Formats: sequence, C-alpha cells, structure tokens
Amino acid sequence: MALNLANKSKKRKHTVTEGSKSLASNEFSDSVGLDMNSDDEEGAQEDGDSDEEVEEFPELHPESSDDEGSGSDEESEEEDEEDEGSEGTDTAYDHDERPGVYPEPKIVDSDITGMPKKIYPEIEPDYDSDSSTEEDPNRVGNIPMHWYDDLPHIGYDINGKKVLRPARGDELDKFLKTVEDPSAWMSGFDKNTQSDKPLTAEELDIIRRLYAGENPDAEYDPYEPTVEWFTGKGKEEVMPLSAAPEPKRRWVPSKWEKQKVMKIVRAIRQGRILPKKPTSSTSKPQFYNLWSTAASDQPPPPPAPKTRLPTNAESYNPPEEYLPDDEERAKWEATDREDRERDYLPHKYSALRLVPGYQDFIRDRFYRQLDLYLAPRVQRKKLNIDPESLIPKLPSPSSLKPFPIYRALRHVHQSGNVRCVDVSPDGAWVVSGDDQGLVSLWEVLVGRAVKTWNFKSKVSSVRWCPRSDVSYFVVGVDEHIHFLIPPNLSSSLLSATQNLLAPAELPAAPDVPSPVKWATKPSFDITSHASILTLHLPQSTGLAKQLTWHRRGDYLASLSNTESGSVWIHQISRRHSQAPFRKVKGAVQAVQFHPLKPHFFVATQRYVRLYDLSQQALIKTLTPGFRWISSLDVHPSGDHLIVGSYDKKLCWFDLEMGDKPYKILRYHAKAIRSLAFHATLPLFASSSDDGTIQLFHARVFNDMMTDPLIVPLKILKGHKIANDLGVLQIRWVPGQPWLVSAGADGDASVWCT
Amino acid sequence: MAKIKKKGQSGAAKAYMTRTAAVKKLQISLADFRRLCILKGIFPREPRSKKKANKGNSAPTNFYYAKDIAYLSHEAVLRKLREHKAFAKKLARALGRGEWGDAKSLEENKPVYTLDHIIKERYPTFIDAVRDIDDALCLVHLFASLPADQKLPSSLISNCARLAAEWQLYVMHTHSLRKVFLSIKGVYFQAEVMDQTVTWLVPYQFTQTIPHDVDLRVMLTFLELYQTLLGFVFFKLYSDVNLIYPPPMDSEKDAAAAGVGAFSLQDTRKQTDSTSETAQNSDAKRISGKDVRRLIKTIETGASTSEKDVETAAVSEKNPTESNADDNFVVHTSKSKPDEAAELTTLQALSSLPQSTAPKLFSPFTFFLSRETSRPLFEFIVRSFGGRIGWPASSGTGSPIDETDESITHVIIDRPVVEGTQESEEEKRRRRRRKYIQPQWVVDCVNAGRILSEEQYEQGKTLPPHLSPFGEERGAYDPSRQADAEEDDDEDAMEEEGGVRTADAEDATPLDAVVARAAVDSEQLRAAELEAESRGVDFGTFEKKLEKAKSKKGKSAAPEAKKIDDESDMNKMMMSRKQRTLYEKMKHGERKHAAEREHMEKKRLKIKKDKIQAKVP
Repeated sequence: MALNLANKSKKRKHTVTEGSKSLASNEFSDSVGLDMNSDDEEGAQEDGDSDEEVEEFPELHPESSDDEGSGSDEESEEEDEEDEGSEGTDTAYDHDERPGVYPEPKIVDSDITGMPKKIYPEIEPDYDSDSSTEEDPNRVGNIPMHWYDDLPHIGYDINGKKVLRPARGDELDKFLKTVEDPSAWMSGFDKNTQSDKPLTAEELDIIRRLYAGENPDAEYDPYEPTVEWFTGKGKEEVMPLSAAPEPKRRWVPSKWEKQKVMKIVRAIRQGRILPKKPTSSTSKPQFYNLWSTAASDQPPPPPAPKTRLPTNAESYNPPEEYLPDDEERAKWEATDREDRERDYLPHKYSALRLVPGYQDFIRDRFYRQLDLYLAPRVQRKKLNIDPESLIPKLPSPSSLKPFPIYRALRHVHQSGNVRCVDVSPDGAWVVSGDDQGLVSLWEVLVGRAVKTWNFKSKVSSVRWCPRSDVSYFVVGVDEHIHFLIPPNLSSSLLSATQNLLAPAELPAAPDVPSPVKWATKPSFDITSHASILTLHLPQSTGLAKQLTWHRRGDYLASLSNTESGSVWIHQISRRHSQAPFRKVKGAVQAVQFHPLKPHFFVATQRYVRLYDLSQQALIKTLTPGFRWISSLDVHPSGDHLIVGSYDKKLCWFDLEMGDKPYKILRYHAKAIRSLAFHATLPLFASSSDDGTIQLFHARVFNDMMTDPLIVPLKILKGHKIANDLGVLQIRWVPGQPWLVSAGADGDASVWCT
Repeated sequence: MAKIKKKGQSGAAKAYMTRTAAVKKLQISLADFRRLCILKGIFPREPRSKKKANKGNSAPTNFYYAKDIAYLSHEAVLRKLREHKAFAKKLARALGRGEWGDAKSLEENKPVYTLDHIIKERYPTFIDAVRDIDDALCLVHLFASLPADQKLPSSLISNCARLAAEWQLYVMHTHSLRKVFLSIKGVYFQAEVMDQTVTWLVPYQFTQTIPHDVDLRVMLTFLELYQTLLGFVFFKLYSDVNLIYPPPMDSEKDAAAAGVGAFSLQDTRKQTDSTSETAQNSDAKRISGKDVRRLIKTIETGASTSEKDVETAAVSEKNPTESNADDNFVVHTSKSKPDEAAELTTLQALSSLPQSTAPKLFSPFTFFLSRETSRPLFEFIVRSFGGRIGWPASSGTGSPIDETDESITHVIIDRPVVEGTQESEEEKRRRRRRKYIQPQWVVDCVNAGRILSEEQYEQGKTLPPHLSPFGEERGAYDPSRQADAEEDDDEDAMEEEGGVRTADAEDATPLDAVVARAAVDSEQLRAAELEAESRGVDFGTFEKKLEKAKSKKGKSAAPEAKKIDDESDMNKMMMSRKQRTLYEKMKHGERKHAAEREHMEKKRLKIKKDKIQAKVP
C-alpha cells in the first residue's frame, strides 16, 4: 500500500509537468505516450530514449506505455487521482460503493516484477467522466452560501440562469416531516441546494465510525505488517564506518582527574576540608562575651518603644469601681478590637486560684511583634507643660481702667433697626438714625430726644462735623446727603454755621460741571425740619452707605453702594464734589481719611489700599486675607489700622511693617459690623452680629521695637439680635471713656464706666 | 541660573523605597525579606509626604529608608539565605533522583547562619541589650509554657524553658526583683538589672492554644533572634557575677519537675583557681617584679574585703536557714563584690530606683506552699527576696524542707476554710504556730517594700484590692489616693464633732495655722516646713496637711478664681491658632481624665452606699 501511494505521488508529479506541457505541445502528445523530461528544446529525436526509459521503469503502467498511445487517457486518469487527493474522505467510499463510477480494478501478476498489481478499466474521456460536478445544478462553487440568504435564488446553473430557492416549510412542517418520514433521521441539510438530502449508507457508516472513535476510513488497517527496507535479516552492514584505532583516553585513567582528586585528598589530609563536620558543635550556639570588643562609632539604633505598664484595672483583684457595668460591657463588646481603649475587660476574682488562663496571650504577643517590625515609627515629643502656660500673660483688665462696663441708658427707636449713630465733637449730643427714616437728636447724659427729623426713607449714615467753630451734622438718605443744624445753638455758632452752609454769595462754579448738585434752601428756619443744604449725588449711585469727615471738617467723603464710581469727596467751603477714582478694582466697602496726612484708605472686598490724595498715587496695598471686609478704622496716630470682616475676624495692621497683618483676632461668633478707635484713650471696640461689643486696650508705643499691646478688656452684652443683625454701629464719646452703640433691636445705648 | 532639578531624582523620592521595590532590589522572597527585617530590626518609616516619596502616587504603601535597604543588601545572613535556597534546590534534586548519599552529604553541609554580628550591631553596648530584653523575656516565657508539636519542636521548647530558668536563677541570685503584679493576663515582674528596669510578663500555667490568625513563622523568627540575644546577655550577666554560663542542668531532677532547682550555679573561680595554679606551675620562672607588686596589692584589698566578709557571714549566721535553703544555690562572696558595686550608686541611679528596695525582705521567714498554689511563681518571688520555701511533693521534687519542719513561719494557702476537719493534736499545734496567708500577701509585701500585717490576708478572708505597683497614668483616677482622702475626711469630722481637744491636737493647731498660711504664700512654705520639722511631724503628714489647707483655701477663693478664669478666657483670644489648637488638645485630654475620674468616683460612692444599705437591714 505504501508503495502504491509512493507511486501515485510520483505519477502526480509527472502529470503536473505534463499537463502544463501538453497544452504547449499538442502535436507531440499524440505520438509520444509518456513524456518524462520536460525538455521541449530537445525535440523528437530524443523521444525514443525517453520511451525506453519509461519502459524500463517497472512501477509505471506497463500497458499504458505499451498499448495506449494517447496522452489524454493518461490525463483523465491523473485527474481522478487528483480528486482522490483533494476530496480526501470522499474517495474512500467511492471505490467501494460506486462501482458505476469507479470500476473494480483487476488484480494481475506483473510480468516484470512478478508482484500482483491492480489494473483499472479504461475510462471514456468524455465530459461526464468527471463525476464530481455532474448532478449539481448550482454552479456557484465553494462559496459561503449565506451570501444568498437574502435573495430568492441560491445560485446559478451552468447556463447562468438563477436557481431558485426550493420551498422550505416552517418549523412545524419540518417537525411533521421528521415525524412522518421514517428516514428523516438519515438526511442532512445540503447548503448547496438548500434542501435536505438523504445520507448514503457510506456516509452513515462514517458517522458511525466517528461516533465510535474509529478511523473514518473503512479501508484503513492499523495493523499492517512492517516492511523492512534497510534493516532486518540479511541486510546487516559488514564493514564499520571508520577504521580509526580506539583512542587511548577510552581506556587510560585521566591525569587531570587524578590531579583534582589528589588536591582534595591533600586538603583532607591537612585538615583544610572536613569530610564530616562535628555535629555537636553546630547544633548548639556558642555564647561568648560579645561586648568585650569596643563598640562601633555608629550610634545605636533607637530602642523599640516599650509596652505600656499595666494599671490597676488589669489586676486580678481590682477595686470594685473598675469593674464595668452592663452598659460598659456591652459597649466594649460592640466595638472592634482595634477601636477598644483597652484590650481586656476588668474582672475581679476572689482568689488567685480562680484566675483562668488569658485567652489572648499569644495574640497579644503577636500583635506586639507586628508592631515591632511592620509599624512605621514616628518620634513624638511629648509636651510636659501646663496648658495654662500657653495662655499669654497680659495685664489684668482691672488695672487698665477706665473703660465702659455697663449700659447707662437706652434711647429707643420704636421702628427698630437703628442703623447709624454719631456723637457731637463736644461729647454732649448723639444723633441716631433708623431704617424708617427717623433721625433723632438726644443728649448723652439724658437720653431723651430733643428733636427728630423724618426723611421717610432709610437713613444709612449720620456724621457730625468735627469742627468746633460750627455745629452741624450730615445725614445720608438714599442718594442725598442732608446737612442739619441742631437746635438750641448759641447765636454766634448758629450764624457761623449758617454762613458756612448757606453763604450769602456762592463761590464760583467749577470749570467742569460736577454731576453732584449742591442745593441750598433759600430761606432757612432753624425750627423747621428741613435740611439747610442738600447734596444730590448722581442718579443710580445708590445709597450713601458711609460718610466720613476729614479731621479739619472741610472735606466729606461719601461712599455709595454701587459697584464702582461710588466714592465722592465733597469740599464744603468750595461747594465742590469730585470723584477721586475713575475706576476702583473691586467693590469698595469702606473709606477713611488718614488723621494726619493727605492719605486716603479704601477697603475693597479683599484688600485695603492706601492712596496719596495730593500725589494721586497708590502708596500701599494691604492684604488682611479675609473674604469680605466690612469695616476699618485708623488709629489716631495714623500708624495703625484695624480691619474687620464679615468672616468674624479682625486684624491689626502696623502700617510701618508691611502688607501682612501684625495680629489676627477671631473671637466674635458672627460677622463684625463696626470698629472704632477712641480718639484720645488707648481703647478700641468692635461690634458684631452676635449682639456683643468687645472692648480692647490697645497701647501703641513710640519706639519701633515694641509691638503694640492688645489686651481684651470686656465683652459688653445687652443688645438683642433681631433678624440676624446685632450691633450695627459703635462710636466713642469724645473725651470720655464711654461708648454709644446702635443695635438692630431698636436701641441706641450709652455704655459708661 | 540654577540647574533644573529632575523630578524623582532627589529628596524623599530617593530617600524612601516601597516594600515591593526593596524586595525586588534584594532579589529575595517576601518571606525572606520579612525575616531579614525582623532580624536586623528594620521597620517601615512614615515619610512626611507620601506622595513625594512614592513619585506622585498616593496609594497606601509601606516605605523603608533606601539606606536601610542598601545596608540590608550587604548582610551576611542574606547571603546565607540565598545559599540556603540553592541548597534546598540541590537537596530536592538529589532526593528526586534517589541519590541518597549525595542528599546526606548536602544535608550535612547545610548552610547555617549565626546572628552574633547582628546582636552586636543592634546593641553596641551591653546596656543597650539589657534595655531591650523585655520582649525577649516575655516571648521566651510564653514558649516555655507551650506544648511541643510538629510545628514547635521539643528542642525549641526546652531551650526556651532553659533560658527562662536561667533568667530566674540570675534574678534570684542577685536579688534584683523589684515589683510583682498579679494581673488577669499573667504575672508582671519588674527587676532591676544593670540599673535598667526590665519588665516581663509570665502567663499563668495553663495550656495556650495558638490562634489561627497568628503567623507562627513571624513569632519563630523573633524567637530565634531573642534566643541568641538572651544567650549572650545571660553569658555576660553570669560571668559578671562569676558564675559559669550555661549553668549545668541535672536532667534527672528536671524530669522530676524540679523546675529551677534542676540547675546548679557554679562559681567560675573554682575552675579558674585550679587552672591558674597549673599555669603558675608552668610559668613559675617568668614572674616579674610587676606581678609581685600586683599580688601585694590584691592581698591588701583582699584583707579589707575579708573583714566585710566576716560581717556578712555573721548576718547569715543569724538566719542559718537561708544558707540551708540555697544548698543548690551557692552563696559566695566574690572579691569583686558586685553587691558593694551596687551600693555605690550615682545620683541618677538613685532617682531612677524603684521605691521598694528591700532585697532581703523575706529573709526571716520560711514559707510552705499549699498544693493549690503555683510553685514556680512563689518559689521565684520568695527566693528573690531571700526567703526559704518548701512545697509538697505533688508540686515537684527538690523541696528543701518538709511540711512538718518546725522552722516554717507562713503557709501560703489559697483555699477556703473548711470547718469540722479532724486534725491531730500535732497538726493543731502546728496550725497555731504558723500563719496561714493567701498568696496576695506575698505580692503586696513585695510591692509595699515592707512586711504587711497578715490580718487582712488570712485564709478565707476577703482580700483587699490588689493595686498595680506601676501606678496609673498622670491625672488618671487613683484609688489609693481616694482612700487616703477618705480617711482624712473622717479624721476631720471626728475632730470637729468631738470638740474635745487633746494636748496633742492643741499642739498641732499652731502648725495648722502655719500650714494654712503656707498654702497661700510660697515664701512661708519654707517656714512652715521648718516648723513642722521642729515639731517632729514627718514629711508625709505635713504634705497632706498642706494639700488640705490648699483645697480649703481654694474653696474660699472660688469667686476670685472665677474672675481670673474669665480673664484668662479673654486672654485666650490672643493666642495664635497653633497655640490654641495645642491648648485645646491638652485641655481635651485633661477633661477626659477628669470625666473618667469623676465617673470612677461616682461608682465608688455608689458601691459604698450599696454596701452600707446592705449592712443596715
């Protein structure tokens, strides 16, 4: 069989070459039966030689070379053989089961070799001789048939006509078919024709064999006898391959090995190598005086932290108060092992013999070891100080008297929400204004209103002119600033004031017309409730929320609550207003004149800027680090500044020291509303929405080296919180250690020593 | 312009190394890395910024110093571990091939590492080593009490037991035990060795089971290190007091549960004397003038010490029982005089000394253990304080005295009194002569540093609470102080109620006045002290009085204090944020302690009230 196959493959090789050639040389193919060598150039003269060669070769078809002269016969046969190769398993049954297609071979003894050989009958070389394609109408070839899934046809026949898809029933039909047709289990779906085809007996046989795990080829015989070609009886080689003599090293002992062995032997003799170490010395560690030699210079590693020493609670017989009650026990049991404050529950035993073994002993040791080698260690300095020593030592408030301690009197505004308050420069009168538009004038010592003005709209600020030769105050209502003269003035003072505010001849109008209108009542009566002079700020500048005087009393700065362009400086003597800043970065929160120099503080939400008005230049920007500044005040010396914020903090700036605060204090529970330095005494106060006023002693030293001393003195409580607003404004009474405050609860209070 | 620094090339990124990186660098398994860390005492560090140390990664990891790891890479033990890995491979191969001979020779030449150099590195001086043996002693005592099984070879257990016994022998020999505390976890001991306090915990004698979540490998690695450490420390300790280390063990006695008694302490001088004699014989010709001079000097000092020897001998003659008790425990007087050296204490040593320094507290007494008490525990305590002790045969062999011995003064007994037992006349007589006390008496005496009255601790009586000799944390509830205060209050009440003043009390009143003044003014404190001294009032009572006066003063000055408190409250607002947080933290701790104290005090009063109520009806 093996031989046969070999033959066949050889033949195939020939035919491949021949097939290619046969087309080229058709004339030769008729005359020459078998052309072995593909030498076209050599021509016909060598044909005879090749023929002879062919005849000599025993395994080829002797008859074909003898009897048949046609190459086409050969070709057809070769094609069959090719089919066999390509189709594989198909051919296996083709031989047996289709005698019509493949005829039985005859077995004949070869003349030449004397071995039996198969001889097949002739095959007619017509078109039908190829059986593989004869019955299939669909000629699309070996392509994935799902390409035609969406189409009504399943391919094309040989004439190029569509082969229509055979009708296939639905699932029910299929099922019925399987039930009705007894041979349904023997059919399989053929993709090519899109229909079921009954399986042939040989196909079923292959399936059976595959199921059984046998070789699908029925012909295959796994137990064929071996054919010995090169070995075996009678085929032994007589002569050796090499005639070289046996080398000496094969039978003489190695010199190098001997040298190596001798080296070891000598070492053993001299005792350098111990063939067997004494076991007794290795099993036990030998101890000696390890610390007899000098220690190395390196510092020793820091010792491991020691475990905490046991306390009374760990005793087997602790005092009874250490024993946990049920609640503590439940709590201890509920917490995780890591979260427990102590890793055991105290227990009392009446006698030592009753103490059981501790269950977690090994675990405790194990966790200790884990701590030793797995836990990062951090060296912590343990502060062994009295916490009270951290509190700064400050002089006692009682030694820093006088300062206001109690509320001496209250002036009640019925409408509530006293927004602003101010004290006259001689310290005798107080003006307070509320949200309903009521401005009342009252005496510090009495508290009864002497006169009230009603502006029908929210009074945002009142400010008394600091000049002593005239007496009047200004009231900010909406976009108007009213100048009011208090009653009961001496005639000289009144006339001076009237002359100032409503002069007989108005000063020359400025070159550039100002948007601020100065309106004077032509005929002013002291008893009337109207203002002698009114400043009309331009429309839509909004509420004049802050008014502040220059120390000389000639300049008045007003701040409105619009985003920008809201700062105006008004000069009373010239009846002239100007806006010092064309544009200010950020919303201005507060403004203040420097008490000594021509400087001007402007606080925006985050920064406080100091401008030189004469030079028209920015001198300094201070950064308190607050979110929203609410108020500021300048120390009478002009070197220090306090800034309050809505985020509850207050900071103290030393203007000599740079743009960072010297101290930040945070003590109010709510936003700071107002701050005030006392003009002469070393005091300042802050008021907040938490309804308290905090008093401080603030001493400033002349030498540069000493820091200012700030001592908290007292918290004045008494104002109530209304609508989340507390004390809205505070002012010191000039010349007295008294304080006047305006609260959202409708009280204007005087605090005395 | 400065050179631009590359990220991850300097600073924390270089100084720290994650564990994974360390294992990778050393090319060892994680288990071996752990073992090496345990042996070398290398532990993770906490970098200030984890992100910087981990090159921008903020995942939780352990960091080691890169230098520590570099230091590990040169470790001899690491090399041996690698060799062992190769050896294990070779052995497995030989066994797999069935080459038994090769396997045997491999096994014989197995690489073994020693830890001597590591001990020396970690503890450059002996004092360093003594300071750090607490954990070692705990672990060795624990393993000495564990049963041997497949994981714990019996050789390991017996070695631990030997080390534990050697330590106890040393402590007993030098009388260096200071404090004992019977806790629910075990018995805490504190000894003072080389001016270092060593505290260790011994479990009660019960079988321990090893929990599943405990990694025994880690414990055994630690044990390996600790065994070596203790071996070297004990060698030095023993040789410093002229004892042979290791002390020879009598295996017969050990098998009969003699415990510590199985070992016998031997003086090194006996051996060295004989060897030096032979040396002298051989080197007789080479004695120089220098040697002679030295010899003369030693003779002189020897004469001076011999006088003291006589003294101590006289002391020991007074209680001859002691030397009898220690028959396997040879008391010797060494020439170097370790006791004398201990007496020459520096000021620093004095200040660090625990209060109870009565090393021979029990020397006049002879104890006998009842059979339900733990022999190893009380044998160790009593003998450490110079007492004699005997025990019944059921507690092990080797008892130096019999139960019928006339010298027995105390019997440590831990069972309730049984009425109606029939005792012979002899037994009754014995019972009358001896004192039957509960075990806590021994421990309380040790902690108090004096012999307490046996009355409270008699057999069958309810014991007073056993307090920790190590004290409480600062500011924590202290029951002993509470008890003192209570007594004082009672005394005050009695004085006031009685109205009758003895001459003694009259005598005391001017002192009280002085004390009250002293409480106000620190300058007068000294005058008050002098006054007290002249009257012969001891310092303790003086201090108590002072405290009382101060508290009285405090009560009267309460409104003033409140005012001051307000002021300081105001001053708090002038603190910086850092100071304020620190202050708040400290205050929080104080408040917590105070709350705890109050809670305990309430509990105590409640218990007291309940007791009184229970008594009345």
